Amino acid sequence: MKQDVIIRFDGVTKQYDGLVVLDDVSFEMEKGKFYTLLGPSGCGKTTILRLIAGFTEPTEGTIYFHGQPVNHVPANKRQVNTVFQDYALFPHLDVFENVAFGLRVKKMKEADIRDKVAEALQFVNLQGYENRRIQEMSGGQRQRVAIARAIVNEPEVLLLDEPLSALDLKLRTEMQYELRELQRRLGITFIFVTHDQEEALAMSDQIFVLNKGKIEQSGTPKDIYDEPVNRFVADFIGESNILSGRMVKDYLVEFAGKQFECVDYGFQPNEQVDIVIRPEDLEITAKDRGKLRVRVDSQLFRGVHYEICCYDENGNEWLVHSTKKAEVGEEIGLYFEAEAIHVMRVKEEDADE
Amino acid sequence: MRRMKWGNVYLIFVFIILYTPIFYLLFYSFNSGGAMYDFQGFTLEWYQEVFQDTRLLMIVLNTLIVALLSALISTVLGVVGALAIYYVKKRQVKNALLTLNNVLIVSPDVIIGASFLILFTIAGIKLGFVSVLLSHIAFSVPIVVLMVLPKLQEMSPTWVDAARDLGANEWHILTKVILPFITPGIFAGFFMALTYSLDDFAVTFFVTGNGFSTLSVEIYSRARQGISLSINALSTLLFLFTVLLVIGYYFMSRKSSRLYGMWGRK
Repeated sequence: MKQDVIIRFDGVTKQYDGLVVLDDVSFEMEKGKFYTLLGPSGCGKTTILRLIAGFTEPTEGTIYFHGQPVNHVPANKRQVNTVFQDYALFPHLDVFENVAFGLRVKKMKEADIRDKVAEALQFVNLQGYENRRIQEMSGGQRQRVAIARAIVNEPEVLLLDEPLSALDLKLRTEMQYELRELQRRLGITFIFVTHDQEEALAMSDQIFVLNKGKIEQSGTPKDIYDEPVNRFVADFIGESNILSGRMVKDYLVEFAGKQFECVDYGFQPNEQVDIVIRPEDLEITAKDRGKLRVRVDSQLFRGVHYEICCYDENGNEWLVHSTKKAEVGEEIGLYFEAEAIHVMRVKEEDADE
Repeated sequence: MRRMKWGNVYLIFVFIILYTPIFYLLFYSFNSGGAMYDFQGFTLEWYQEVFQDTRLLMIVLNTLIVALLSALISTVLGVVGALAIYYVKKRQVKNALLTLNNVLIVSPDVIIGASFLILFTIAGIKLGFVSVLLSHIAFSVPIVVLMVLPKLQEMSPTWVDAARDLGANEWHILTKVILPFITPGIFAGFFMALTYSLDDFAVTFFVTGNGFSTLSVEIYSRARQGISLSINALSTLLFLFTVLLVIGYYFMSRKSSRLYGMWGRK
């Protein structure tokens, strides 16, 4: 398995004018997988991308490509291509010449260039657009040109820097499917940067959640959604009810003034913890039937479900996603399975806040 | 509506004031009477006189050569300078360079001319073709820089990253990305330099000598000697040439923006 590792970061730190953007980051990426770097703006995800592309060098630590350190290898010598956030298409060249740019630079034969460009444009469904000017293309089409321009060089790794952020919702969803499909067909490693957690969950084999220049958690979308390691990840991925609690003993946790059975274990007795319950895991019942009794404060119709905001008697806020309607002001019960409770260790810096 | 009307009247008034002297001059260049009043009859005599005056034709040729050479050289220097300013990272240095550049544009020609005269005298350069050419290049470079720099700043910084990402080295980036994109600015700078050189009087007047002369200086000295309508004829020809240049520039810039998508295809 080890030879499948294509990119490895070993203790990589990046500073800009003394400001630490990446703080001692280490990870490995394997060949042929779809990775997502997910985090709020300023978390360092784009910096990782720029480091892999070779636009900037790490302040400390080493980046390996196929086991070879590449810290000082310039961008034009790397088997990596990038799809930029603003696409960065050259406005003085038409679609064909934009896609052909990398091949022309490599002094490829004219006939080969024609074949390869045609093939790349076919890959992104843009046959027949060769002579269009960039200014005449729509946002979605420009996006495809940018992808074609990158993949025509047959990179081992394709970097995508929030490429969908400029598109409208419908097109964005469509492109999510297309990108995933494209990655499968090409079989190369995709590294996708986004701040949109839905995008990350839908597309990735593996997600790295970043915050303040550090990787908070890495894992499959399901791992990250179901088993967030801390408050930040739980809060950032999806919507969640996060409460402070206390682990009484294995399989028993106390929060909201009550004790509940749970499936988590391995904590110190009476350890302070954060607990997460996803809004869709809460079920509305009659007020005496549930595990919690809450009062409905407000309700929004979201199409697929109602988003109901409630408060329990201790003043904790509970967000519920339910297909059933509730009445504002009404007292209801909330029921959840023991598996729905997810217990997380409290990080030291979080506890200080 | 009313306001629009007054605005138009004002505009027409201003243009009449600006163009009347030129058309007055142009009109009397066809006067057979030999003076700038009392139009007696149509004649091309004065134009004939211009074209028979070999000294004058030599001067026209000199003027054109100086203009073309200085425009070409200053375009090259100006583009390099603009690139240098564009690549300066420190904000203060960049602003300082830009200010120095702009001061040269707004400072009076008389001062520039006088200072060049002093410089050439100290450096021991003989006044004549070379001194005129050098000074024209010197005052044209800042103009080219000013025309090219906005185009450079219009470039998205990610284009350079993208080009590098696609395997381009610094030379490719310059020739395949930056230069094609700023071409309209380069053309504009070239034409500005050309016209500035063609109609410069003050600077040339200071640094010319040894029988070398350009049109504007020649017209000035002839006008002082006494009025001959051949000067009117010459001025008319110059005016028409300038108009042609402007029209030519207009079509060229339109064409280059229309052909934007075609660059680079063999």
